[in-house]
Amino acid sequence: MATLTTVQPAQDAGLRPVPWRRMTWITWRQHRLALAGVIALLGVAAAYLLITGLPMHQAYGAVSACRPAGSGVCQQAANDFLDTYAPGVGVTLGVFQVIPALIGAFAGAPLLAREFETGTFRYTWTQGFGRARWALAKIAPLAVAVAVAGGAFTLLVSWYMQPIFGAGDHNGPLYPTLFDFLGVALAAWMLAAFAIGVLAGVLVRRVIPAIFATLAAWAGLAFVTGIFLRQHYEAPLVTSSPSIPASAWVISQGWFRGGNPASLDMINQTLRPVDVQAVTPELFQPGPAAPATFGDPVKYLIQHGYTQLTTYQPASRFWPFQWIEGGWLLALSLLLIAATVWLVRRRAT
Amino acid sequence: MNVIEAIGLGKRYGSTWALRGCALAIPAGHVAALVGPNGAGKTTLLNLAVGLTAPTEGTVTVLDGRPAGSPAALDGIAFVAQDAPLYKSLSVADMLHLTRNLNRRFDQSYAAARLGQLGIPMRRRAGNLSGGQQAQLALTLALARRPRLLVLDEPMAMLDPLARHDFMAAVMAAVADGDVSVVLSSHVLAELERVADYLVLITSGSVQVAGEVDDLLASHRVLTGPAAEADSYAQRLDVVNARRGGAQAHLLVRTNGRSGPVPPGWEEHPVSLEELALAYLREPGAGALPGPTRARGAEPMEVTNWQR
Amino acid sequence: MTIDKDVSTAGDRAGTAPSGTGGDDGPAAAARLPASPIEFRLDPGSGVPTYLQLVQQVEHALRLGYLKLGDQLPKVRDVVASLAINPNTVLKAYRELETKGLAAGRPGQGTFIQATLNQVALPELTELRRSLLGWLATADATGLDEDGMVALFTSALRGFRERRGAASGEKESVA
Repeated sequence: MATLTTVQPAQDAGLRPVPWRRMTWITWRQHRLALAGVIALLGVAAAYLLITGLPMHQAYGAVSACRPAGSGVCQQAANDFLDTYAPGVGVTLGVFQVIPALIGAFAGAPLLAREFETGTFRYTWTQGFGRARWALAKIAPLAVAVAVAGGAFTLLVSWYMQPIFGAGDHNGPLYPTLFDFLGVALAAWMLAAFAIGVLAGVLVRRVIPAIFATLAAWAGLAFVTGIFLRQHYEAPLVTSSPSIPASAWVISQGWFRGGNPASLDMINQTLRPVDVQAVTPELFQPGPAAPATFGDPVKYLIQHGYTQLTTYQPASRFWPFQWIEGGWLLALSLLLIAATVWLVRRRAT
Repeated sequence: MNVIEAIGLGKRYGSTWALRGCALAIPAGHVAALVGPNGAGKTTLLNLAVGLTAPTEGTVTVLDGRPAGSPAALDGIAFVAQDAPLYKSLSVADMLHLTRNLNRRFDQSYAAARLGQLGIPMRRRAGNLSGGQQAQLALTLALARRPRLLVLDEPMAMLDPLARHDFMAAVMAAVADGDVSVVLSSHVLAELERVADYLVLITSGSVQVAGEVDDLLASHRVLTGPAAEADSYAQRLDVVNARRGGAQAHLLVRTNGRSGPVPPGWEEHPVSLEELALAYLREPGAGALPGPTRARGAEPMEVTNWQR
Repeated sequence: MTIDKDVSTAGDRAGTAPSGTGGDDGPAAAARLPASPIEFRLDPGSGVPTYLQLVQQVEHALRLGYLKLGDQLPKVRDVVASLAINPNTVLKAYRELETKGLAAGRPGQGTFIQATLNQVALPELTELRRSLLGWLATADATGLDEDGMVALFTSALRGFRERRGAASGEKESVA
């Protein structure tokens, strides 16, 4: 016969330390499906990189072994290599852009939202532990796991990109779809997505809407960062030379004449004598009456008083930019997580 | 010591007041029943007491002055919400481990023994248990924390009669064993009569009746007599509720301690808890609240005594 | 009151989980001695307060011989676990029995029967019966029917009890 005896009151001294392992395990058990999905997603992506990366590395072996290095033949070999593989890599990484968002959303959003949806917060929030510690004990292990997974995947991507960079791709590591998969950026973006997801979960309190909210917010942030913010981490360099340093990230390029921007019409007017049409400031279409020995339209325009100004970020700024972006993403993540814990504390039913 | 004390407690959701001007002082060592129609504010009151919600106005303290929701309060109160929430995907053993790690005190041997007696297998997922078993599991987890106060929100709503009996038996046994007070809400009066020794009646967001069951029953009577005389007696007596036939009337009367002689031609009967509660529920304007010096720090309350 | 003729099982169920849970069986059950000869039951529809039902059942058991001097009454916890009633109710019933002198509590052990009900001697009983029959005849002649007689008797008994309780300084309502 089991009775509640009054023998043990002295034993309950002090709150037990945060049961990280138990909470991690509980979180896993509770969100098994979502976490399994995350792992599957990363696994599939990793497998794809391996499958396509190995033949690429093999092909690159021939290119890098070419002697004499820098000669026309070897240069051609490198260009051929890039023509074959670079487009596929670009598409792959373009598709992979959604991975951090998905992971953050599916790992982060259900974490707290599920508790509200199923009503189990009525159980957990009334335990002696208190809600803030509980929330933190749920968030912290997953945050670390997500960041670590991001770091590991970055290593794989770096390996994958080696041949492309080695062959001298004109898109350097600062290029938008490449930058956020290299260095510390991926881990930081995945952590940020997770933090956004967790906050969305506590604000929205329903799993599916929270997931969508997370994806939307993350997409917005990534877009703004890639298009507007990142180029200003350090003041971009401007050059009028037509040859731009290798692997630089070209932000904008434009024609100027006499200190003012030159319109497309102006350019076309100048080019009419040689029957070349400027479709865009970078793309030139020679017409039927163009002289056979006409060379580079760019040089022609420069000879006729035009200046091409290129705004760019050199590849040497890759790591400083990584630390900057990683830094503010980390700060943002911590802020969002702190806000989540604060909201959990404050929130009433 | 008062296990739950509320002064001017109010909670508003949007523009609706779920609870307003609520004053309460439930003493320790009792099984207190919180009774009222659906939507009267019982769940709101309990949520405020266990710290799931914060008051819009007023204060609520528990276990002799601890603020509701504070770590000290959480430590001493075990709460089983409606529908006994559990992590459905965890096994019973996992739920035990989780509760053990989320609290200072946890009597693992008690919990394991009780679950064994109830025939609840440790390895089964909580979601695969029957409704009665889930309720018993939630109760076991709560009792194993050895709380000073056990709060149950409509714990038996989903249970069949046998499960209900077993559940209540377990709660009563825990009260008999140790130093546990119980506050439970229900809208089923009949089952509370055997179990409750303190009654709180809540209607439309405020406390209508609060007091020890013995005191309430001793201070109320039903007087049965000629309907024609009912009105004149209603002037002189403290009538809570009157029911009439053509010739006969029943007056549920509050004697306020005075047991005067029964008017000639009238009979008096003792009142059951169910009858008393129903009478007050039918008369929202009537109230029976405890006298002064019950709530610490509050102004002495008058025995409110509205007539129809 | 239904007295469980299998006294052994009545005692065994005391303290284990309520019925339907497949409690002990076999050697373990046989080895445990019953704690009390009687087991309480509850009649929720009778209108009689719970504690009074318990008191009446003890007195009835005494009359019928199920309970003898020195027998132990069921433990409070066991009653509570099987009937799902408030422990204070059981305590109130046992206190009432103590007041009547029928039972006494021994700290740490339980409550035990201390006395038997007053046996009224046969001649007095016969005399009481004769006067009661006379009253019944008078009531019948007045036109009161059986239910009316019972109602009148019950109400008079209540009044008698109240006056006797007030006279001996005891309050009916226990705090």
